[in-house]
Amino acid sequence: MSSHRDTKFVAIVDDDDSVRFTLQGLLRVAGFSSRAFASAEAFLGSGDQRETACLITDIRMPGMSGLELQARLNAEHCRIPTIFITAHGDEEMRFRALRAGAVEFLPKPFDDEVLIESVRAALDR
Amino acid sequence: MGFPGKIKWTAGPAWSLALRYGLALVSVAAALGLARAFAYFHLPQTFAAFALSAIALTFWYAGIAPGIFAAVLSSIVRDYLFEPNTSTESRLLFDLVFLVFALLMTRVARVRNQLELRVAERTAELTRSNDTLKSEIAERTQAEYLTGQVFESSPDTVIIIGTEYRYKRVNPVFARNWGRPAGSMVGMHVAELAGVEFFEQRLRPFLDRCFAGESVRFEDWFDNALGHRFLAVSYSPLRSGSQQVVAALAIARDLTEYTLASEALRHAQSDLAHASRMTTMGELTASLAHEVNQPITAAITGASTCVRWLTRDDPDLGEAREAALGVVRNAKRAADIVNRIRSIAKKGESKRQLADINELTRETIALLRNEANRYSISIRTDLDADLPKVMADSVQVQQVMMNLIMNSIDAMKNVDWTRELSIRSQSAEDRQLMISVSDTGVGLPPQQANQIFDAFFTTKTHGIGMGLRISRSIVESHGGRLWAADNSPRGASFFFTLPIPVETPE
Repeated sequence: MSSHRDTKFVAIVDDDDSVRFTLQGLLRVAGFSSRAFASAEAFLGSGDQRETACLITDIRMPGMSGLELQARLNAEHCRIPTIFITAHGDEEMRFRALRAGAVEFLPKPFDDEVLIESVRAALDR
Repeated sequence: MGFPGKIKWTAGPAWSLALRYGLALVSVAAALGLARAFAYFHLPQTFAAFALSAIALTFWYAGIAPGIFAAVLSSIVRDYLFEPNTSTESRLLFDLVFLVFALLMTRVARVRNQLELRVAERTAELTRSNDTLKSEIAERTQAEYLTGQVFESSPDTVIIIGTEYRYKRVNPVFARNWGRPAGSMVGMHVAELAGVEFFEQRLRPFLDRCFAGESVRFEDWFDNALGHRFLAVSYSPLRSGSQQVVAALAIARDLTEYTLASEALRHAQSDLAHASRMTTMGELTASLAHEVNQPITAAITGASTCVRWLTRDDPDLGEAREAALGVVRNAKRAADIVNRIRSIAKKGESKRQLADINELTRETIALLRNEANRYSISIRTDLDADLPKVMADSVQVQQVMMNLIMNSIDAMKNVDWTRELSIRSQSAEDRQLMISVSDTGVGLPPQQANQIFDAFFTTKTHGIGMGLRISRSIVESHGGRLWAADNSPRGASFFFTLPIPVETPE
């Protein structure tokens, strides 16, 4: 629970267990520590958002969507570099996400290299 | 004599009493005058002959009583005026002659009266039957007039065709349809109008059956002056008194507009049904694509991770193995979903076989879970594990479930209260099992709860109103029922039943 920069982690929010689980594996092999949440509500409720260096979130989920989560965090002045991953991305959605401060908008399935680079870029900001 | 009361005495010429007795007096007086004139000229004494004539005359014209009166008068006149010296015997003889003559004449007069009465009666009878005939003729004329009106005013074609296939009578509609005056068509051969080939192949077989005594009906396209027309035709045999068919009564109704309209409707319906399936498939495709995409994403990510563990400076085989196993798991999951879609989308044979309704329900829910998640709808299932299997076309039953669930999802998309879809299976009365799909959506349209099953009824902005209609016909074709009810406290419930086969293998 340290606010030290090195202890910050990548938060993963996706309702699909397997996507969440494999993403954590990919981040681990790339050398990032991560925490996974099954919903936006679970992430917001965890109180971890202040320590989150980068957020990877699905857009369409039961309950709060990824875009709503981004808006909520912005409203709380908790600007976390956010990478959206979605199977339903259209241009309008992409535009909305990027305008709201997203660093990347990746369609599923995504290229692991692009994701890792995006995470790295987000952490270096 | 059979004649009533006084008639026999007073019948005859309808003269007054005075006139009739007057005739007796005058005729006897005339006889006396003639006899006196004869005597004056010394001609033979012939009063008796004149008196007999006078008696006969009186009987004939004045009737029986005046006749007898004339006879008595003649006898007195003869006795006292002509032959006062004649012997009693000869006077009695004359009286006897008058008496016999009077009796004879009585008889004659009676017969004459009877004859006249009979003639009068016959005449009355004849007059009566003549009147009856007249009114019958008038009635018949009226009926014929009305029949003619039916013929002339019918909105349908009415024609009479003789057994030689020639028009005997045609009505104005027929004349108008062919653009010819009616008079010019009478006597024409049917083939002349309809064409030889059409007549021989399409009309004559029906006409011949009609001439053989059968009433026939058929429908066909005819080319007449109005163009290509679809006519419903009936041929009815017309018989003569001897029961022999002498003509055919042909009545034809033009159903062209009706037929075109119903064909258009049929096409529209099938187009819409197709469009509906396409729309549903389109909506589903997006959902299913997402469903398949998740494990594929996970598999690719897992594979990338595996490669990274293996290719880093210090390879970690254990982590790589874990990642590779994840790839296998996720790829299998993707394949399972693809197989499920295939089994649902499989077309062709609509085979009914024993199916586990709970299994079908679970499969359908698995396919639509993502769609429900998209709108934050929770799904609750309550499936009775002891249900027997049903004879059903799995694909069709799943279509019904999919339709009901998609409707429920649509109904809950925009509500701002709890969105809950609950699906139950249970056994119902009369060897049926019942599946219910309940939601907490906007509910059934008030006052229109029954219309939702009508074709083209929809409350959706983009719906075409065929889903429930098709679903109901699928359920009914399985021997079940599909209905809707309000859900408590809000939303709608749809129920459908499927019959349990009589012998259910466990």
